[in-house]
Amino acid sequence: MHKLGRGSRDKVQQFMTITGASEKVALQALKASDWHLEGAFDFFYSQPQISLMNSRHLEDLYNRYKEPDVDMIMVEGVSQFCTDLQVDPQDIVMLVISWHMKAATMCEFTRQEFIGGLQSIGVDSIEKLREKLPSLRAEIKDDHKFREIYNFAFAWAREKGQKSLALETALGMWQLLFAERHWPLIDHWCQFLQVRHNKAISRDTWSQLLEFVKTIDPQLSNYDEEGAWPYLIDEFVEYLTENGFVQLRK
Amino acid sequence: MATHERKTIDLEQGWEFMQKGITKLKNILEGKPEPQFSSEDYMMLYTTIYNMCTQKPPHDYSQQLYEKYRESFEEYITSMVLPSLREKHDEFMLRELVKRWSNHKVMVRWLSRFFHYLDRYFISRRSLPQLSEVGLSCFRDLVYQEIKGKVKSAVISLTYFLEQIDQEREGEQIDRALLKNVLDIFVEIGLTSMDYYENDFEDFLLKDTADYYSIKAQTWILEDSCPDYMLKAEECLKREKERVAHYLHSSSEQKLLEKVQHELLTQYASQLLEKEHSGCHALLRDDKVDDLSRMYRLFSRITRGLEPVSQIFKQHVTNEGTALVKQAEDAASNKKPEKKEIVGLQEQVFVRKIIELHDKYVAYVTDCFQGHTLFHKALKEAFEVFCNKGVSGSSSAELLATFCDNILKKGGSEKLSDEAIEDTLEKVVRLLAYISDKDLFAEFYRKKLARRLLFDKSANDEHERSILTKLKQQCGGQFTSKMEGMVTDLTVARDHQAKFEEFISTHSELNPGIALAVTVLTTGFWPSYKSFDINLPAEMVKCVEVFKEFYQTRTKHRKLTWIYSLGTCNINAKFEAKTIELIVTTYQAALLLLFNGVDRLSYSEIVTQLNLSDDDVVRLLHSLSCAKYKILSKEPNNRSISPNDVFEFNSKFTDKLRRLKIPLPPVDEKKKVVEDVDKDRRYAIDASIVRIMKSRKVLGHQQLVMECVEQLGRMFKPDFKAIKKRIEDLITRDYLERDKDNPNVYRYLA
Repeated sequence: MHKLGRGSRDKVQQFMTITGASEKVALQALKASDWHLEGAFDFFYSQPQISLMNSRHLEDLYNRYKEPDVDMIMVEGVSQFCTDLQVDPQDIVMLVISWHMKAATMCEFTRQEFIGGLQSIGVDSIEKLREKLPSLRAEIKDDHKFREIYNFAFAWAREKGQKSLALETALGMWQLLFAERHWPLIDHWCQFLQVRHNKAISRDTWSQLLEFVKTIDPQLSNYDEEGAWPYLIDEFVEYLTENGFVQLRK
Repeated sequence: MATHERKTIDLEQGWEFMQKGITKLKNILEGKPEPQFSSEDYMMLYTTIYNMCTQKPPHDYSQQLYEKYRESFEEYITSMVLPSLREKHDEFMLRELVKRWSNHKVMVRWLSRFFHYLDRYFISRRSLPQLSEVGLSCFRDLVYQEIKGKVKSAVISLTYFLEQIDQEREGEQIDRALLKNVLDIFVEIGLTSMDYYENDFEDFLLKDTADYYSIKAQTWILEDSCPDYMLKAEECLKREKERVAHYLHSSSEQKLLEKVQHELLTQYASQLLEKEHSGCHALLRDDKVDDLSRMYRLFSRITRGLEPVSQIFKQHVTNEGTALVKQAEDAASNKKPEKKEIVGLQEQVFVRKIIELHDKYVAYVTDCFQGHTLFHKALKEAFEVFCNKGVSGSSSAELLATFCDNILKKGGSEKLSDEAIEDTLEKVVRLLAYISDKDLFAEFYRKKLARRLLFDKSANDEHERSILTKLKQQCGGQFTSKMEGMVTDLTVARDHQAKFEEFISTHSELNPGIALAVTVLTTGFWPSYKSFDINLPAEMVKCVEVFKEFYQTRTKHRKLTWIYSLGTCNINAKFEAKTIELIVTTYQAALLLLFNGVDRLSYSEIVTQLNLSDDDVVRLLHSLSCAKYKILSKEPNNRSISPNDVFEFNSKFTDKLRRLKIPLPPVDEKKKVVEDVDKDRRYAIDASIVRIMKSRKVLGHQQLVMECVEQLGRMFKPDFKAIKKRIEDLITRDYLERDKDNPNVYRYLA
């Protein structure tokens, strides 16, 4: 949105308040009508499958979960949401859904996140979303999406106002994420962190670990100690070789 | 003679006349009795040629005469010279050759004079070879070629010739003059070119030389020790050089020496250096300075010859130094159970020994190895190895700082003259160059300097300043600026004190009744001291107030922080026997003054009244009740302090002396120093990374690390891991980011 001029931004805002549509839809409609508000409304209401699906049903759905006194879905609402979907809150599919919603924080959805997210998934009811679950789950298998979800998870999972991710949470997230990707060293990694590090994880370490998992084979044969790996990863390699988990070929 | 009308001379008639002259010349050369040429004879001969050449064609006989000139030589050589050479051999043949050559040159000189007119017109106009050249080439083509042919078939001259040289090499006398004369023929015959000398003689000489020395070297290398071999080699080189001077052409010197060097040195270089009981290792071990100098002289002659020598040198110095480290290490671990001071002495001895080692090998580099850069480098690298090892938990940076302290403080263990101190300081500073943790040295040095200055332990102000100058020269102004500030602070403080005393005398109502001296320090210069809120006795509080008042009159906007832990007090203690002046620290004094009010105090009462940490109170009480002077008596009476103890003023205490200094053992600050340095290093690395990235914007990981190490290398050797951690920290703090596509590349975020 920051790329737009102020006039355009106002129009988008106005459009969204009136129609209750997401920003994406608003932009789409406004662009299609060459930034005339009237035209945009015509465009919006003439395409019922986007508009109608979105606005009313989604609004109802949101209201079902939102906190009574705050305009937001909080822990209570999220767990109700999970129950309705018949998924465990710990299920990785919840991470994928949160990623679609661009949720800023775990176990919280703002109105815009919730509605926008469901719109982008393309559903307007719990049933429809439940039907979509297998395909959402399958997104993990996609390399490109996995990377986005992985990097999204860092900010999503960390405590508000913190720069780094608490170790406990990080370990949980890694177990969750790599359960899907089969990284053979994951248990060593988690154990190493608990024994040797026992501190929060920085964003850099978080994102570089994925690079490490993707590029370095589990025998570490292509690991370069002169490289720019975060020191924690270097120490992990040392830990692996010291303990004889991996024989590093020189 | 009438010039205008001359009778024409025909060829036969003229040549007959010339023949007479030539025969006369030959007779002279053959040593037959014949009068010398008179100038008239010469004139006649010349004129005949002149006339025969200046007649109108067809009577101009220039061409014919030019040929006849050559024929005269050829005739003489074939009829006289060659037969006489052919019948002689070896030395006699060579003598004959020399004689014939010199005769030939005489003949050329005379004949070319007779025929001189040909040179002037006929020859120069037709660009034909000059008369003298024709004469020489006759000898070359007829005589020299024949002799050379014989050489090739290894019958006559050269074999004999080379044998002569080899004989001389074996120490026999030979006829050098003869050899020289023969060799001159080789040179002269070539006119300006050296081809004949080089191809027909020098090549053979070089080959023969190589063979000769190759055989020699094969036996020498087996039979002789390395020094003997080198002596021989050097002697051989000297002889060959003399040989060239005596009878060879000077252009041969370089080639000849190279051959000898190749056979004697290059071929056996490593074998020679590695000789088990006499090689380079052994020479260094046994301090064979002369042999080492010789080794340098010899090996500097051959290409890359010095590299292995310098490697062995480096290895040797490293071993020596490492042995010293080990020695000190052993000594330290053996002395552990005994008094700590003795360990300190050991370390002192260790630094001394390192200095001696350095002196010794610096002398080697300059004297034996003529200050060659390779050896300077080797020495530096060797010292860097063991100077950074440290002894029994103390880094070498600390050892050096302690060593300096011991020299500079009053009553240090070394009693030295002023010059000796200067000299030693100079050497310590030079050693510092090998230490990578210069910042650690600076921090330790500053701690020790602070103690010397504040407790008035510095023996000599000039030495203090002199070492700072030396350090400044070697490590730069930034390195010493704080230390210089400290020394200056103290000078200023003296001035300040005088002003303060003046202030007190003019404001007598403020006089606290205690002589007070305050040293105001500039915060940044000094090591950081913790300042505790100790509850000072009222007397002292008054002093502090007075000084504050005075200080405000002199400066504004300056905050005074009091560091009582660094203070000293002289107090009078009234014991039953006599009053003794006690010199104690401010903390000790504060504790003792508590007993002015009450006789007995429990440990916990003391802690609360003083408001100090347990560690400090235990230390203070120990120094006053368990150490040498028991100013306080303690219940129970044992040698350690526990929280249930009760203390009482020991009024029975007495001593021979009127003044006693009650020492308070200093806290071991090593850990804090190391931590401080570590913290400073983090800042230094951060600053360096940011500086580099600010100018480069985008940079690869390895390059960044390299540049960072280079920038900081003058102060310390940052470890790669530390740099990495700082880079990651800067990423977290949004100074840098990783490149999206290449995680090995960083970008600077403005």
